[in-house]
Amino acid sequence: MKKIAFHTLILAFCCGMISSAASAEDVTCFESRKGASEVTQRELKPGWPNVKCSPKTGAVLWWGDPFDGTVPMGEMPLLDKTAAAKAVVKPRSEKLNILPMCGTACHNGVGPKFMPPTLPKDKNPKPIPTMEGLLPDAKNLQHGRGRIWCLDCHHTTQRNKLVDNFGNPVSFDQPQLLCGKCHGDKLRDWRDGIHGKRIGEWASTGKKRWFVCTECHNPHNVQDGARNRGFIQIEPETPPQLPHGMKDAKYELLHGVSQH
Amino acid sequence: MTPNENSPVGPDQELSSECSAQAASAAPLEPVQTTTSRRDFLKGGGMLSLSSLVGAGALMAQTDDAQAAIEWAEHFQGNYRLMTPQEKAEARARLERRYSAEYGKKVTVDGTEAKDGVLMGYALNIRKCIGCRRCVKACVAENNQSRGPNPGERIEWIQVLRMERGEFSKEKMDHGYPEGLGIQVGGNAYTPAGQVLEGQYHYEPKAVPEKDATYMPIACMQCEKPPCVKVCPVRTTYREADGPVVIDYNWCIGCRMCMGACPYWARRINLTSPILPKEEMNPVTHYLGNRPRMRGVVEKCHWCLQRTRQGRYPACVEVCPVGARKFGNLLDPESEVSLILARKNVFRLKADLNTFPKFFYFYD
Amino acid sequence: MQKLTSFAPDYARYVLKGGKMFYAWMGFLAVLSAIAMYGYYLQNTEGLIVTGMTSQIHDGLYFANLVFLVGVAAGAVTIVFPAYVYHHKAMHEVTVLGEMLAISAVIMVMLFVFAHMGRPDRLWHMIPIIGIYNLPGSMLGWDVLVLTGYLLLNFIGGFYFLYKKYSGGTINKTFYMPLIYISIVWALSIHTVTAFLISTLVARPMWHHSMMPIRFIVTAFAAGPCLIILVFQIIRNNTKLWIQDEAINLLSTIVTWCLGMALFLTLSEIVIDLYARTEHANGLYYLMFGLHGLTKLVPWFWGSLAAMLVAFAMFLTPSIRTNYKLLPIACVLAFGGIWVEKGMGLVVPGFIPSPIGEVTEYYPTLIEVMTTIGLWAMGFFILTILLKGAIGILLGDIKYGGQAAAAK
Repeated sequence: MKKIAFHTLILAFCCGMISSAASAEDVTCFESRKGASEVTQRELKPGWPNVKCSPKTGAVLWWGDPFDGTVPMGEMPLLDKTAAAKAVVKPRSEKLNILPMCGTACHNGVGPKFMPPTLPKDKNPKPIPTMEGLLPDAKNLQHGRGRIWCLDCHHTTQRNKLVDNFGNPVSFDQPQLLCGKCHGDKLRDWRDGIHGKRIGEWASTGKKRWFVCTECHNPHNVQDGARNRGFIQIEPETPPQLPHGMKDAKYELLHGVSQH
Repeated sequence: MTPNENSPVGPDQELSSECSAQAASAAPLEPVQTTTSRRDFLKGGGMLSLSSLVGAGALMAQTDDAQAAIEWAEHFQGNYRLMTPQEKAEARARLERRYSAEYGKKVTVDGTEAKDGVLMGYALNIRKCIGCRRCVKACVAENNQSRGPNPGERIEWIQVLRMERGEFSKEKMDHGYPEGLGIQVGGNAYTPAGQVLEGQYHYEPKAVPEKDATYMPIACMQCEKPPCVKVCPVRTTYREADGPVVIDYNWCIGCRMCMGACPYWARRINLTSPILPKEEMNPVTHYLGNRPRMRGVVEKCHWCLQRTRQGRYPACVEVCPVGARKFGNLLDPESEVSLILARKNVFRLKADLNTFPKFFYFYD
Repeated sequence: MQKLTSFAPDYARYVLKGGKMFYAWMGFLAVLSAIAMYGYYLQNTEGLIVTGMTSQIHDGLYFANLVFLVGVAAGAVTIVFPAYVYHHKAMHEVTVLGEMLAISAVIMVMLFVFAHMGRPDRLWHMIPIIGIYNLPGSMLGWDVLVLTGYLLLNFIGGFYFLYKKYSGGTINKTFYMPLIYISIVWALSIHTVTAFLISTLVARPMWHHSMMPIRFIVTAFAAGPCLIILVFQIIRNNTKLWIQDEAINLLSTIVTWCLGMALFLTLSEIVIDLYARTEHANGLYYLMFGLHGLTKLVPWFWGSLAAMLVAFAMFLTPSIRTNYKLLPIACVLAFGGIWVEKGMGLVVPGFIPSPIGEVTEYYPTLIEVMTTIGLWAMGFFILTILLKGAIGILLGDIKYGGQAAAAK
């Protein structure tokens, strides 16, 4: 138990180091939701910032260059009509603080504490205190309401990868290949641009930065908290200005239809 | 992480039109000095312009000021749609010089015309909207709206309504009329059970979406048969060939008939000279799009013409954190809006008015 | 030609001379007009932000008065029509006064248009050839057309008559009579088009009904003659011009009928809208009872309704209608009631709620109120001058060759 705690500490420390790499003066904004992709404000050209951020919530409101920091999305079934250079994503791996560790320090099966390797032999759920310590969401995973478990999504032996239906590894940059296993209708809509978010050029043949599943949805806590319509709550931006003469907006809460 | 050279819209973009040369030559004049004198001049001009003709002599007397000359030419330019390409380019170059001086940076005023085979369309997933108002603010960041602190100085083109879900209850069954004789009319009707049109605009919870509410963003619907265009006495507002309804802000007389005619409350009046801080001003503009407006004219959403004519998504589409906003070419069967129209349940707001919006609401 | 060149100085000399009361009255109006000019100045430097108008409620006092005054201008036809169609003798003698009233009312309308516009300096954009005139699409375009036409018709008709009277010539009937008949129809058209202006806006359910034009006409033919009766009585008491009782009696009969119809239409609208109580009735509901707890216009509505009902009862009673001490009270009540009902009571609730259901209230600023008062004063200034000149000519005080007699 002690060893576990020790490892947790090391990992946590490393995470802290990575996340604090940005200097204190920089303005860092989040793109879709807090905890997912973040950007540091800078100027692409004089007077032309890479992003404009909300002073109230810290959310990115505007992209000076929609393709800033993107890489090609990679292969995607039925998206072959789109040229590779036209579909780009922001690599998720960079933002997942503990990911570099996952494949090397612990789960490569060769670490000093893993002699012999103690990787699971089957997919039956069992408590993993290390992971629960690192990732509180994992303790009471609501995704699937108990019908799925870590290794339904995470690769058994390559922990820096996700897993597809055949047990082949899937990159963290392409979570759609994993999520689509169950959410096929959403995957289809996403592929056609109906579900999810894309920025860049609007023409169907244009170059777009695609937002992948996990940039908007946190797969570990999809059902938790006071939420509505599948989204975690976020802070709203400021309301419109009250027009001349109106003191407050309390009248809005009264209802107009109060008579026959 | 270098700026991508393929960026469709950027400060260094190549303007395909002939005005690019003029744009480049429009070096910013020294900002502080000229701006002040221009403002004073404007004030004087505004007073005199009670009658343009009476004011003419006095204005002409001040043309030694280069800015005044620009202002003067701008005042007497024609309706943009009826200008020759040459006049259009001149009008834009004039504006570029004025804006560059006023905002202390190089401002471009694009004039890219509609492309053949393009009819812009918009779709919004009403089930997805969480009411975060990021679209409202992104629109302001892009489109150079006024943002002063006093009432009437802040303009936002998108409105987000919060609609209470309300609930039906047994207790309410006894309310209504006739009282005491057995309720025939009333019941749950007097409280928002289901939804009423009167939404809330000034909601300010700690976090959205709220359990007991749904949200409905409304902006210009870019109607195919826009009532605002019909009522304009000077044809300053019109439907562009690729769809958006635009305004020539230099031709608008501020009569506000279009505001009265719009069933979607999409139009705003600049009650005063827009308050737009220099550092927040977006220097990439379009003549019919986001160029800074002036006192007394009407403005509205134009689907970010300065972006969409260059191929880039509108700002509100890009910012939506839930991906509820979709934009594309209605004439292209592969575009996201066409696919939505083919696959999803869609509706138009106030379809009974026969305005034929190109803005569709849909749900999964 | 000499007659024509001497007309203007004779006319000016006459209207500029007067007693202390006259100068006090004109001075008072001039001060108020100066305030309105300052309001113009502020609106053209600071912008409409000095008024209480917002993007939600973007037509306010100015538009309300504009609409009402178009009615007053059209109301002048209640003199012209009986005089020339029914050959009403008493009216025939004073027709030109009606035309003078129409001229001043249309000028007031134009003053309010200037005040209402965001960019009055760009009005030239509406002038055909150098600008663009969106006909037949724009109802505002039609409104400008009919108003300008009405001003010209009355100006030409009125001053042609006065000039002939002044110079002692005979009126060329083939020129004059068509002018009169056209102006009678035209008077109806100005108010009909003004009604179309707002009732064609489908976005505003409060206005979007086909009853609007007839309601405009009957309220105009109630409010207009009320003002004329008041003016006639002032003229009878203060000048040598005696306007016959028959003229005033006919006008009060017209007011009685039209006021009755106006009330009937108002009540019909209330029943039809509030019976079903759809979302489209929200504007009227706001006006009558308030909406979302906002009730600023409620006392105005009930006040105006009460004033109109009392006035109607007074007009309906023959002993009051022909009592020239009580008649002015009825006229003021009816005029004021219609001014509220058709002005603020019609324009402002059209914006409450907004087409997408936002409920806000209208708070006119002091500058806006003072400008409105000042523009009315300016109108009365013009009306006084025009009436004084016309009376002088009718009395023979201004006459070609004769010494222009000093005004009383």
